[in-house]
Order: sequence, then structure tokens, then C-alpha cells
Amino acid sequence: MTRRELFKMIGMAAGGAAMYQAMSTLGYAAESPFKGPIDLSGAPKGASVLILGSGVAGMTAAYELRNAGYKVQILEYNNRPGGRNWSIRGGDSYTELGGYTQHCEFDKGLYINPGPWRIPYHHRGLLHYCKILGVPIEAFFQINYNAYLHSSKAFGGKPQRYREIKADYQGHVAELLSKATRQHSLDDAISKEDAEKLLESLRSWGALDKDFKYGKNLTSSERRGYEKDPGGGLTAVPIPSQPMGLSDVLDSGLWQGIPSGDNYDMQTALFQPVGGMGRIGEAFGRELGSVIRYNSKVTKIEQSERGVTATYVDTATGATHSASADWCLCTIPLPVLAQIPMNVGQKMAAAISAVPYASAIKVGLQFKRRFWEEDDHIYGGISYTDLPITNIGYPNCDYHSPGKGVLLGAYIWGLNAMEFTAMTPPERVMKAVEYGSQIHPQYKQEFDNGVAVAWHRSPFTMGCYGMWSSDARAKHYEDLCRIDGRIALAGEHASYLGGWQEGGVTSALDAIGRIHQRAVAQGSKA
Amino acid sequence: MKTRLALTLALAALSLGLSGLARADDSLFTSKEGIEHADGASIYTHICQGCHMPGGLGAIGAGHYPKLAGDPKLSSWQYAAFTVLNGRNGMPPFGLPPDQVWETRTVHLSDEQVADVVNYIRTHFGNNDGEAITAAQVKALPHPSAPPAQD
Ligand SMILES: Cc1cc2nc3c(=O)[nH]c(=O)nc-3n(C[C@H](O)[C@H](O)[C@H](O)COP(=O)(O)OP(=O)(O)OC[C@H]3O[C@@H](n4cnc5c(N)ncnc54)[C@H](O)[C@@H]3O)c2cc1C
Ligand code: HEC
Repeated sequence: MTRRELFKMIGMAAGGAAMYQAMSTLGYAAESPFKGPIDLSGAPKGASVLILGSGVAGMTAAYELRNAGYKVQILEYNNRPGGRNWSIRGGDSYTELGGYTQHCEFDKGLYINPGPWRIPYHHRGLLHYCKILGVPIEAFFQINYNAYLHSSKAFGGKPQRYREIKADYQGHVAELLSKATRQHSLDDAISKEDAEKLLESLRSWGALDKDFKYGKNLTSSERRGYEKDPGGGLTAVPIPSQPMGLSDVLDSGLWQGIPSGDNYDMQTALFQPVGGMGRIGEAFGRELGSVIRYNSKVTKIEQSERGVTATYVDTATGATHSASADWCLCTIPLPVLAQIPMNVGQKMAAAISAVPYASAIKVGLQFKRRFWEEDDHIYGGISYTDLPITNIGYPNCDYHSPGKGVLLGAYIWGLNAMEFTAMTPPERVMKAVEYGSQIHPQYKQEFDNGVAVAWHRSPFTMGCYGMWSSDARAKHYEDLCRIDGRIALAGEHASYLGGWQEGGVTSALDAIGRIHQRAVAQGSKA
Repeated sequence: MKTRLALTLALAALSLGLSGLARADDSLFTSKEGIEHADGASIYTHICQGCHMPGGLGAIGAGHYPKLAGDPKLSSWQYAAFTVLNGRNGMPPFGLPPDQVWETRTVHLSDEQVADVVNYIRTHFGNNDGEAITAAQVKALPHPSAPPAQD
């Protein structure tokens, strides 16, 4: 192996960390700036804020502003709180753009999170609200060592266990690197003492034997699993398993799946609300009660020196109304907001138009039994595949429960998501079952029913979330976030935590902090 | 030497990274196969129809996707092709260079494909708008391009 090849290999191993750095510059792995509850003391008497949208951003703002003494009202298009924070349960109906209605037929207690599904432990703002709203949380498994990595083009299409790919990749890389170290190929890069420490660390990292080899033995089986597990009594003796060759692992491309839990956003511990992500929005909605006016589609936003007026249509009656306040916090997703007349300056208007929203699909599939646990011993976590369905997510709850279970049967991005969006919902479900059965052949026998959400067809967002390019971020981000007269924007799109609820929460807190400063500066009623 | 090692590692990882490690969205592989060969009709039915709907009927919710059926604005091929290339508001750009689509998870269509799909929408859904346009005409229009991401 040449030195270049060797470096390339290390590069693969270092991929997680180096990628994380690259991603930080894009804002995909930034730390939440949440530093504890916000202090809005000294609100001017009678001051009011009109909030548009009851997603996590709008409801965080309403909760804090109301508690600080502001008069608040939320106008919400949907007939429920939460926005993208949402779970679909048995008995629910959902009508997407184009008019296709799905009736979810899941059993009682079963659900799918069509949008957000996991909360990293460092999303302290969102977790804070879970805590004070009494929303219980449980563990979400990003990595399950017994889940699958699958390539339709490798190993004859047979899915491989995550732990086998990880152990074999790591073992072979450690063996190669230890060989290079012992052959003094790295002498100009590290000192003699470091070389010895490196060798010891490689042995432990890669599960190498005393000769720095990665092979079929109990040491490697401790990582990758056994051909026959150790047991008790007369049949106790374990049989080690045979590792795959390095080139098999490399050629398969499955090493791409190894760091999927290494990024800051995906590191253990992650959480999910018990009973579905939608429990957060529901709890906020209960707490805010009549502050939220549902079925209210904002069609125009107009500000003057004195205040802001939103015109809205009651989607139940068709009647047009208006609501006014001193200030407006608008959390309407950008593709929708871009189409609403609003008298803000050219800079904010340009920013609103500059961010395309991603295409994404989630399909929830109910099966007659939890075969992934019963047959495949996969309890929670995610399998990854190169098939268009991309992910299969296993429920991180209700383990061993008899009866039916619901899988995330597809979670798709990019081109494949656009193609799935263009299908009817039943076609999407059918395709998810068809592809998924290449990984779990039990699908065919056990499939019961499903629902499919295509985010570009979501009537209330027209997309999954804002995809800021670094160029657009540099040109427009601050103009999007700066208060324009009496209007401030908040929401996932007004954050560096794109695609995370924490972005909605922290952008809302940041914006209301600035509105509060201005309101205080202007004294009581403007 | 140490810095060279570090740099090489970072570069190797970066070039691989583009092929798709998990981001906030958790997609490890997104297959691009087949798209280069799609013609106007299949581009419409596999991509555009997701928003503009079968038959170009458009849709209305909190916002709307414009109806392309009987859309008078399509009489300007420049308007139609410019919109497809550059996007606007909720409409994603399809004219970004192939190596720049990953950042916004959009899709690259060649000038020929843009011409093809514009010709398709201008001659379907009750539209009958003028002469077919060519890749050369699309090429002459402004295309989007973002400077490469800094690292
Ligand atoms: C597929 C997918 C997966 C995701 N995964 C995760 C995850 O695992 N973890 C995580 O933390 N985040 C995840 N996210 C991101 C998360 O869902 C968002 O960042 C967050 O929910 C956005 O909150 P928001 O308040 O900014 O916007 P929204 O929740 O979209 O709220 C906006 C509100 O405005 C309303 N509205 C729209 N138009 C109008 C109008 N004209 N008049 C009145 N009201 C209107 C909408 O109905 C909506 O209620 C995911 C998102 C998607 C789509
Ligand atoms: C993600 C959803 C989405 C997809 C996919 C999409 N469009 Fe659009 N399109 C829109 C939106 C939203 C608008 C309105 C933009 C605006 O606000 O001006 C639009 C506008 C247009 C217009 C201008 C129509 C008018 O009357 O102003 C044309 C032409 C068009 N799209 C063609 C296409 C074609 C061709 C494709 C496929 C290559 C496509 N679109 C894919 C969302 C989409």
C-alpha cells in the first residue's frame, strides 16, 4: 500500500470528525445557544404581540411573552397546534396539497412522526419546554449495532449488521496502520515513543491480536459477534465468526454508514417524547388555550408606525377578519410567507425569497407483528440502505409488545424524495413496502397499512425545511433575522440549527428578546 | 509534516463527505442514477408534478403552487426557463451546477433538459405556446451559481 492510500484510509476513519468541522461551517452542527429561561421583565403595560403560526417557534414566543405580561394572540392555519411538530395516529386524517386524503388505520397507541423524531441531549431549549410542560421523554436510538447497513450492490444484496461492518472496517484499518507504524513508514510523522503508544491504541481500537492482526478469533468476535454465542452448560463454548475482507468492506460502500452516530447532533443521548413528537405541540397548545386561533389563514401583513395588522381568512367559514397588535412575530415558513403581501424592506423581502425548502418523505408502515424484534432482534434504531427508501426506523418504544407495530418505512431526501412526492400516497406506501422487503422479507407477509407524508405537499409549509446555501446565508441571513419596523421573523429558517426544532425555539427567544428591548425603549403603549 | 498529514486527512474526508455522511437529515445515499437521461415528459411527471400536480393543476393551501394548465405566463419561454433554472420563493432552482446541488439538496437539470421540460409544459395542459426552444437558447439565460462552500 502506498503512503497516499494509507492516508486516504485514515481519512476515511477520521471522516466523522473532519466532516463535522466542514458541516459546522454550514451551520448543521452548531450548538444551541439556549442558556436557561428568558428574562422579559418590565414589559410595558398593555403592549401586545401578534404571533403568526403555532409551531414550536410561535408557541415558545407566545408562552414567554404571555408570562411576561404581553397581550398575545396566535393565528394558525391548521386546526391543531404544533406545525411540523406532529404525530399521525390511528383515526387521524391528513389531506395534502392536491387534495389526496389519507385516513390512518394504525392500531390504538401506534403512531408515526412524519416530521421531527429525535432530540439531541444538547437541544436544551426544547428539552426545557418538555420539562416545564410535563412532556415525558424516552431514549431514541440513533445507532443500533444490530440494525442493518444495506447496499443493493454488495454482498449479493444481503443486509449486513452495523456491528460487523464497523468492527471489520476498524479492525482492518488498525491492522494496516499498525503495519505501517512497525515498518517505520510514519517515522517522519510521529516520534518513537508515540509510535509505541499508537500501536497499543490500534490494538485496542481495532480488536487486534498479539501480532497486530485482525482475524477470526474471540477478540474480534467480541466486537463483531460470534458464529455461535457463548452460553451456559454443555453447549456453552462460543465459536468465533469470520470477519469479511477489507476490500469487501471498502467495495460495499457500507463504511459510509459507520459514523452516522458520530456527529454532534446524532450523539448519544437522543430523546423522543413518549407517545409521539406531537406531544410537545399538543402540550403547548393546551397551555396556551384560547391564545391560539385555529383555521386562520393569514393572507396579508401590514405594518404602520403604530402597529401591525394581519388579514386572515377563517378556513372553516370563509370569512375574512383582521387582527392587530403593537408588534408582530411571524413564524410562517418561507415558501408560504414569500407569497403573502407584507410591507417590509427590500432586504428582508429578498431574504424571504432566497431559501429553497428541501423535499423529504416519510412513510409509516403498520405490520401485523414486530418481526424486526421477534426475528431480527432489532430493538429501535435505524437501518440504512442505498435503495430509495434510505432508512428504516424501528420504534424506540413498546418493545416486546404483542400485536401490531409501526416502522418508519422510508425517510427520503433529494431526487428520490421528489420522485416519491410526485406519486399518490398509496403508491408511495406500496413502493416503500416493495423496497423494504429487500431488507426484511417478512414485509410481504406482515404488511397491514400505511401513511406517507411528502413535505413539498404539506399545505402548511410547502417543504421540509429551509436549505441555506453558505452563499445565501452570507448574503441574507442577518436581513432575515433583523427586525423590520414592527415585524420580526422567527422559526427554524431563522436559525443556524436548520431542520431542528431547537432552531425554532432559540430563534423565537432571540427575536422576542429584541422585540422586548424595543417595546421597553418605547415605553408603554406605542 | 504533521500539518501535511492533517491536511491530507481532512481533504480525503471532505471529498468522501460529499458522497453523503449523515446531516441533520440522515440520508446516506441519494441515488442520482437515471436523472441525466430523463426527457421533458418524465421530468415533469417525476419531479415538477410533486408541486404543480398532475395535469399542471396547481394547488392551494396556506400558500399555493401555481397552475401551469392554461398559464398565460408560459407564453414567454424566457420567463418559464428562467424560473426553472433559478427558482424563486418556494420553487427550487434546477440550474445549479451538478457539484453545487448537494448543499441545498436540489437537482441539476442540463440546459437540454430544461428546454425539454419547458417545451413539455408549454405544449401540454391546454397550453399551446409557440416554437420549441433549444438547449442553446436556455444556455444563453442567466444561471444560478453559488461560490463553493468555504471549509
Ligand atoms: C421530515 C422532517 C424531519 C425532521 N426531523 C427533525 C428532528 O428529528 N428533530 C428536530 O428537532 N427537528 C426536526 N425537523 C425540523 C423541525 O420540524 C422544525 O425545525 C420545527 O418543527 C420548525 O418549527 P417552526 O415553529 O419554525 O415552524 P412550523 O412548525 O412549520 O410552524 C409554522 C406554523 O405556521 C403555520 N402557518 C403557515 N402558513 C400560515 C398562514 N398563511 N397563516 C397562519 N399560519 C400559517 C403552520 O401551519 C405552522 O403551524 C424535521 C422536519 C422535517 C420536515
Ligand atoms: C418544490 C415545489 C416545486 C417544484 C418541484 C417545481 N416547482 Fe415550479 N413553482 C413552484 C412555486 C412555489 C412557484 C411559484 C414561485 C413564485 O412564488 O413566484 C413555481 C413557479 C413555476 C413557474 C412559473 C409559473 C407562473 O405562472 O409564474 C414555472 C414555469 C414552473 N414553476 C415550472 C416548473 C417546472 C418545469 C418544474 C420541474 C422541473 C417545477 N416547476 C418544479 C414550486 C415548484
